[in-house]
Amino acid sequence: MMEFSGSFTSSHSPETLWAYFTDPAILEEIGPGVKSMELVTPAEIDAVLSVGVGSIKPTFDVDVTVTRTERPGLLEMQIGGEAARNSFEAVAVMTLTETDNGNTTCTWEATTNVSGLLASLGGRALRSVTEKLVTDFFEDMEAVVEEGRPAESTLEAKADAEATLEE
Amino acid sequence: MKPATFEYHRPTALSEACDLLAELEGAELMAGNQSLGIIMANRLATPDHIVDINGIDELAGVAVDEETVSVGALTRHRDIERSDTLREACPMLPHAAEQIAGPAVRNMGTLGGSIGEADPAGNYPCCAVALEADLQLVSAEGERCVSAADYFIAYMFTDLGEAELIRGIEIDRAPFPPERTGMAFLEQKAAAQTWPTISAATAIRVDGSEAADPIVEEARVALANASDVPLRVGAAEEAVEGAPLSEATLATAAAAAIDAARPEGEMHADEEYKEELAGEYTRRSLQQSHDRATATAPEVTP
Repeated sequence: MMEFSGSFTSSHSPETLWAYFTDPAILEEIGPGVKSMELVTPAEIDAVLSVGVGSIKPTFDVDVTVTRTERPGLLEMQIGGEAARNSFEAVAVMTLTETDNGNTTCTWEATTNVSGLLASLGGRALRSVTEKLVTDFFEDMEAVVEEGRPAESTLEAKADAEATLEE
Repeated sequence: MKPATFEYHRPTALSEACDLLAELEGAELMAGNQSLGIIMANRLATPDHIVDINGIDELAGVAVDEETVSVGALTRHRDIERSDTLREACPMLPHAAEQIAGPAVRNMGTLGGSIGEADPAGNYPCCAVALEADLQLVSAEGERCVSAADYFIAYMFTDLGEAELIRGIEIDRAPFPPERTGMAFLEQKAAAQTWPTISAATAIRVDGSEAADPIVEEARVALANASDVPLRVGAAEEAVEGAPLSEATLATAAAAAIDAARPEGEMHADEEYKEELAGEYTRRSLQQSHDRATATAPEVTP
């Protein structure tokens, strides 16, 4: 089990950001390594994403379930990914906290089990690349919000869902 | 195992290679094929297309003029090792090249392959950071120049785009006048042909005085395999600059390297041991650079 975390400061309010973080079209465009994304229900997404380290770039079939939302402050998802000889499962939580000057501190935490070839690279390598990908994601998100593009909040939590990860 | 099926392309011009990269989905560049072939045979990597750039002669070669050292991406380790002009103008590169793996790897492996792979234990990434090299990256869209400091982002993760290839590197010669500059590349490794546990690339420029203990005007220190990217250690450089080299300044530099190192433990070398090595190899490498900077006779090809 590996844990990753980080934070990012946005110059927009949590309420503004919330729409962007819960708009599947925006997530499809800037999600790390996302090739395609489909909304199955408002709480479930199927996606194909290709992420990797060096020349090792597995393509994952990913299921995302939104397990908890507290608009506009908290978004929790359970994510499972399968690729040839690689798989992962993760629980990711993002919190948006308004600061005194109206900005937002976005903090994220992910707990994950990775198995297969990527796991053999070791935790340090995965952490290094994950943090880079997530930072890029928040920076790209900030740019989209800056552009003033409209966003529509579509995602909602699945009823009675609970995020769990095998020990 | 054998690699998964792929389509093979062998362009003979740089523009042709760029067009292929722009066109093809899931393409991987092949230069000396000393790393890619292995991970393809293990099916860790399964690219749909291989663009073999060995036929692009314009990518290979060393050029040195008064201002700049330029080395093409397809230049083999062996050619860097044997280049008298590099040994005179930028000896760190030949010193780094001659210690890479064994002769078979050095005959084929390339500068660009190593910088493209961006293994934090690699020799050239560490040199590029120490020398403040500029990398020329080309694509069908044109060419851009990225400093080595900005290029290496995370473990095997760089600023190189999917459709870009490395044309070569350039090093500004102004900080490194050969008559009063010394460079060293020291590796610690468990066996001759393995990856190093820690490497220290250093350069020292002394002042032009005839004094027995000249002042160190400028120092460069970068470590390989001490972090997830090549690690420049500014505090170790500052520790030896502005005074003659001494046991005391070297000790401060070594302590700075230990402090900066964030190595990942390996089976044969835990984190603590690697931090200790980072300090000791910084000290030895700086000493060697200094000896070379103050030697009266120029370096000769061994």
